[in-house]
Amino acid sequence: MALDKEIYAAFAGVVGEENICDDPALMPAYFFTDFAAVVLPKSTAEVQAVVRLCNQFRLQFRPICTGWTGFFRPGTVLLDLRRMDQIVEINEKNMYAVVEPYVTSAQLQAELFKRGLCTNLKGAGAQCSAMLRGHGHLDQSMGADDRNHLAVEWVTPDGELVRLGSLGSVGEWFSGDGPGPSLRSLISSVVPPSCTPGVFTKVAMKLYHWPGPTRYSLTGYSPRYLLAEKPPNMMARYYSFPTLDQMWQAEIKIGEAEIALELMGFNVAMVAANITTSNEEDEAMFKRLSQEVQGPGFFVIIAGNSPDDFAYKKKVLETIIAENEGMSLKSVEDPEIEGILLTQCTRISASVRETFRPGGNFKSIPIMGQRDLTIRWAVGAGQAKLPLIEQGLIADDGGGFFGWGVEHGHLGKTEIFCKFSPLNPEARKAVDAWAEQQSNRALEEKYFALTMGPPEQIDSKVGPALSNYHLWWYKVLATLDPNEVIPDKGVSKLHP
Amino acid sequence: MMIERKKLAETVGESNLYDDEATLEAYSRDMSFANPTRPRFVVKPHTATEVKELVKLARETNTPLVPVSSGAPHFRGDTVPSTGGAVVVDLSEMKKIVFVDRARRVAMVEPGVTFGELIPVAREEGIRLNMPLLPRSTKSVVGSMLEREPVVMPSYQWDVSDPLACLEVVFGTGDDFRTGQAAGPGTVEEQWAVGGRQKAPYGPHVAAWHRLVQGAQGTMGIVTWASLRCELLPQVQEAFLVGSARLGPLLEMARWLIRLRLVNECFVLSGLDLAAVSAQARPGHLQRLRSALPAWTLFYVVAGYEYFPEERVAVNIKDISALGQRLGLEPVPALGGISARELMKTVQQPSGEPYWKLRYKGGCEDVLFLAPFDRLEVLTELVARLALEDGLTVGEYGVYIQPTVQGTSCHCEFNFFYDPDDAQDVLRVKRLVAAAVRSLLDAGAFFSRPYGEAAGIVMNRDAASLDILRRLKKIFDPAAVMNPGKLCF
Repeated sequence: MALDKEIYAAFAGVVGEENICDDPALMPAYFFTDFAAVVLPKSTAEVQAVVRLCNQFRLQFRPICTGWTGFFRPGTVLLDLRRMDQIVEINEKNMYAVVEPYVTSAQLQAELFKRGLCTNLKGAGAQCSAMLRGHGHLDQSMGADDRNHLAVEWVTPDGELVRLGSLGSVGEWFSGDGPGPSLRSLISSVVPPSCTPGVFTKVAMKLYHWPGPTRYSLTGYSPRYLLAEKPPNMMARYYSFPTLDQMWQAEIKIGEAEIALELMGFNVAMVAANITTSNEEDEAMFKRLSQEVQGPGFFVIIAGNSPDDFAYKKKVLETIIAENEGMSLKSVEDPEIEGILLTQCTRISASVRETFRPGGNFKSIPIMGQRDLTIRWAVGAGQAKLPLIEQGLIADDGGGFFGWGVEHGHLGKTEIFCKFSPLNPEARKAVDAWAEQQSNRALEEKYFALTMGPPEQIDSKVGPALSNYHLWWYKVLATLDPNEVIPDKGVSKLHP
Repeated sequence: MMIERKKLAETVGESNLYDDEATLEAYSRDMSFANPTRPRFVVKPHTATEVKELVKLARETNTPLVPVSSGAPHFRGDTVPSTGGAVVVDLSEMKKIVFVDRARRVAMVEPGVTFGELIPVAREEGIRLNMPLLPRSTKSVVGSMLEREPVVMPSYQWDVSDPLACLEVVFGTGDDFRTGQAAGPGTVEEQWAVGGRQKAPYGPHVAAWHRLVQGAQGTMGIVTWASLRCELLPQVQEAFLVGSARLGPLLEMARWLIRLRLVNECFVLSGLDLAAVSAQARPGHLQRLRSALPAWTLFYVVAGYEYFPEERVAVNIKDISALGQRLGLEPVPALGGISARELMKTVQQPSGEPYWKLRYKGGCEDVLFLAPFDRLEVLTELVARLALEDGLTVGEYGVYIQPTVQGTSCHCEFNFFYDPDDAQDVLRVKRLVAAAVRSLLDAGAFFSRPYGEAAGIVMNRDAASLDILRRLKKIFDPAAVMNPGKLCF
């Protein structure tokens, strides 16, 4: 679906001939759709100019930063932001970093570690954009969701440049809200920025203290790096519990005691995925760990600002675990495995192993919010996976789900997924049916409602169940996007 | 066309409708320099249904509504009508504490609930509020959160919207809406039935709707309840004061205390503000305290919770001691006749009477803004120069610096005290405030919560944001009946 020559020339005039493509042979390499063109702007001014052209020619556009999720209609202009890859500022005193869209979490974190700082990397992995809204392994102590953003530079759907908060008023990045009502109300998305209206060109992210080393000392080679020397005042453990309720009680007590750098409610399938380098190893390890654990569990990292602080946190952790009859997984106490998990789960470098490796694809139901509520729902969703496992349609994870407390247990995240082969249509069909049934159950039983479905489902079912938010959203979108250049009313489809 | 008296009486009941001279006069002005404008009626609804009906009536008749939730005295001018013919919707009778949930560290209250009313109920359950510095006794909890007032425990403020969780609002269209987790599915009662508590603030979908209502000064709608995250009650607490003639070292210490999450309450006060906060209601006490205090004082509290609380406190005090030595500062339990422990008890409650900002001279006008840590010394010096030009020395006005959002910025507040009966004094403060706002803005102060005349200057600096806000206003309050004349609306 190539562009008209005149339109193509207009885009090329903004980004240069070498930064635009509408060759139908090349574009499918991006995603399985027929883009009108892929353009690669280098700066905010170029993004603004490209968006204005989209408005002028009534072309729908979608931006991606590092890319992963998203459904793209044929004829969409894709803004690939990979040339916008600068860390604009690291402000140590005021604890924020300003990044462009293609700065990865890995890139930013490496710079931050040198300064004794860290950012919350999203669970999608260190290779993903640092500016994403989302959740990750460090949520316990480093916030999450839309709550780590400060000022934002935003090109609106109609091509206006808006600088939120202190950036618009005084040209600095330390606050994103005000004056008056906060425009962060509009641009903090439940899904990645590719689904929100317009383009974020720079974002200030909150930073957190990093008590670990300025860089990990590693040996070995990919895919098996080992930690050469364990950093002082840090420890990683996996604890399992006789019952889910005891696990939950321990999790909430750890949150309230404010002792964990990380609390990640991995099931053992995910632990196995993390510490192995192939599916064969993974399967064997999963079986081994399944024998070792007494029930559901979680992975914890504690880190002290001083030896005394570390000793105190360790003592509290062990007390809470004992109170709830938790048991430390011996395999993780092995310094080699502890080291692997310590590095991978603070640098979030094993997400692909946990998700894609077993089957090639996965389908997930992620839920943000009240942890105890979503755990109750997830138990049923996990049980509903068991028949699929028995039929060999999805990878065996024991019907597990995972999740963790956010902001020392104030909020939470729970997620459950099925790993399957994309080459098996029967598996895909079964997984889709499972996801639909479990999403419907969540809504009908008043646990939560997913807002990432297709527009027709949002209009008929989800929106009316959620204070008719969709009607307000459509009004907001109409005023921001008069030429309808945002596809699907800004409602995302994660998968085609 | 305006709302008829009869319709109002039918909606809220005759006994909750006021149009007597004394009441209208009382609502026509506040302690700020806002021009007095008498409302046409004052109504006190008791339910969300009544509020919804009021908004619908206002929209049908193009009658301005001015929502108020806190009791007098008010200080910002945002509850004084900007236009004639307004109906003040006083929510102070909506006093239900809907729930306090210890396990999930969350509470839900109606807008008439004050800090003084919620604190003991929360304490009974084992939790407490992250509250602003000494709110006046009549201050609404919901009102404070909607104003994005800074809170005294910055380590627990992960986002500037904290501690607000979810809310129910009647937009200017007359439609009601619930934000965040409260949006659904189902009613809040149906959510409670499966164990849901309205705590997660974001959503639904790609918006964070509560942020649109916060900071709006009632221009988008009227909030009929809100939920708020609460914190655990500590089992052991130790408070400290650190005095200094210079602001810089104290800010550096505060910055590290928050970064390392070593403390709960943490803020800096000038000598006069610390004296005003601590003064007892006896003649000369405030003056005597002030004369014995250093120019600046950092206050912080170290706390321990359920597990080995004394040990946690001891470990943190040891780490803080090392930090203090590095910065050449010495934390002490008492300073200039003020006990840190007593101050801790004071700031964990609403202000006693008289309200602390009225203790020095009977009147106070604030200039408040956000700024990064490393800009504060420059901004305080700038104000000192401006004040001196008007004959006011540094010790004659107060300064309150509150680190916010886990140390990513600071709320800075200049408290210009004046004698309301002294016309010269009033005029000087009025002049000084106007000059300070302009100069501070040019020097990088971010007025995220602009009130009164300053709002116009502040809002107009950012035309792009202004344009979007006005477009949103047309969606949520198309008839512009919600508190017209405030901010940029």
